[in-house]
Amino acid sequence: MIRLDDVSKRYPNGTAALHDVDLFIEAGEFIFLVGASGAGKSTLIRLLIREELPTTGRVVVDGHDVATLRRSQVPLLRRAVGVVFQDFKLLPTKTVAENIAFALLVTGHEGHQVKEETERALALVGLTHRRGHFPRELSGGEQQRVAIARSLVNHPKILIADEPTGNLDPVTSWEIIKLLTRVNELGTTLVMATHNAEIVNALRRRVLHLDHGAVVRDEREGLYAA
Amino acid sequence: MRRISYIVGAAWEGFWRNPVMSIASTLTVSLMLLLFAFFIVTDRGLQAAVTVLESKVELVLYLEDTAKPSDILALKARIEKDPAVTRVDYVTKEQALARLREIAARKKDFDLADVDTNPLDASLEIKMASAQETSRLAASLKDEVGRGVVADLVDNPTVVEKLLTITRVLSIGGIAVLGMMLFVALFVIVNTIRIAVHGRRDEIEIMKLVGATDWFVRWPFILEGMLVGALGATVSLAIIIAGAGPVTTAMIGFLDILPVSLGPNFIAQLVLGVFGFALLVGAGGASISVRTHLAK
Repeated sequence: MIRLDDVSKRYPNGTAALHDVDLFIEAGEFIFLVGASGAGKSTLIRLLIREELPTTGRVVVDGHDVATLRRSQVPLLRRAVGVVFQDFKLLPTKTVAENIAFALLVTGHEGHQVKEETERALALVGLTHRRGHFPRELSGGEQQRVAIARSLVNHPKILIADEPTGNLDPVTSWEIIKLLTRVNELGTTLVMATHNAEIVNALRRRVLHLDHGAVVRDEREGLYAA
Repeated sequence: MRRISYIVGAAWEGFWRNPVMSIASTLTVSLMLLLFAFFIVTDRGLQAAVTVLESKVELVLYLEDTAKPSDILALKARIEKDPAVTRVDYVTKEQALARLREIAARKKDFDLADVDTNPLDASLEIKMASAQETSRLAASLKDEVGRGVVADLVDNPTVVEKLLTITRVLSIGGIAVLGMMLFVALFVIVNTIRIAVHGRRDEIEIMKLVGATDWFVRWPFILEGMLVGALGATVSLAIIIAGAGPVTTAMIGFLDILPVSLGPNFIAQLVLGVFGFALLVGAGGASISVRTHLAK
């Protein structure tokens, strides 16, 4: 599903964010990206959604080689990869349902489809009763669930979560993790960058540890620290 | 259908999100279009005037009151022999006065009732087969002035030539002014749309993240630019239509002209031209703005 061959990324200002990263993630996997701030987690995520291009090496996501992908093909890659951020990135002037429907509308879906898919996503994240509320009226955990619902409406094969619990209290964090685990069980490949040791240690999934842009540990059923 | 309504809705919302800027750019576009329309109308009017003048008499010899009819007829016969001449008409003093009365009858503020002497000259009106020969003939007939028959010679192609010069100067000046206005209008539209893009940067970021095509991101802004253009065109056309009647009357009264016809479809052409130009400028300005943003 995701393959990185000898990938290095050097930014124009000279910072080497990643070097010689090899990685293979199978369809349906759940993988944690761990490491200190600046270790290269965010760069890796940006490569996967083609916000950045590798300086050398090859990044293949869902069969697309991101470096050779034509500009017109980029939206297709982005639809195959859902993304959830620490700061939710919800539109404050739109309701919960409108925020979710937005992802369908701007990818060209028609009316009845938008309605059905939005309702399904709302039910999946348990927010049907909050559909008419605005983001500012929701708790942090609820806002993150809206963001997850929005990332799932286009049925992505991969869901990337960049510190999804970074702004949440422990109880709410667990709710979000439970939800993400369910999404993964339904077949979506899950890549999650996190600093939350408790969650990583409790779940015992594959752990990819980055340090100064290099993979220092890739462990099945791993722990947060070696 | 849903896509189109989304794009149109987003464009409309965008226009009203920053009304001061949108209205400012609409008015700038209106002003540019007014100038554009003004030059089109003036250019067409002058061209029509040139055509009318060209089809009229090309050389006129005004005759001395004391000239003998036999001399006049001899001169007429001599001119008629010139192969470049199509026709020579002898217009008597009475005919000239009758023409003047005819014009006067059509004008309220022009009263000839108390004219009891005839101040007008008789004339020979010469129609040329080829306009290029006019200056040669005019040069040879100049010698006749002051010999007792010809009092004065009016060379119409010179008038036409002058009119063409005016048209040329106006066109060049017009294009220069229009160019500057176009630059200002584009500048204002580019900035209006840039502000709109900035106001919706979060929305654009999410659109790109969830896999919206560039088309979807770009079109609401292009449409917003076209909306600015279309509103500008409407404002300027409203001003033109409101002002056309009084201006035409004033022009005819002031210049004492021949009401020139601008052609039967002129209004339709003008409206289409102004609208087309406005939409093009609006869409062009918005494209420049959005393209710069999306390229990042």
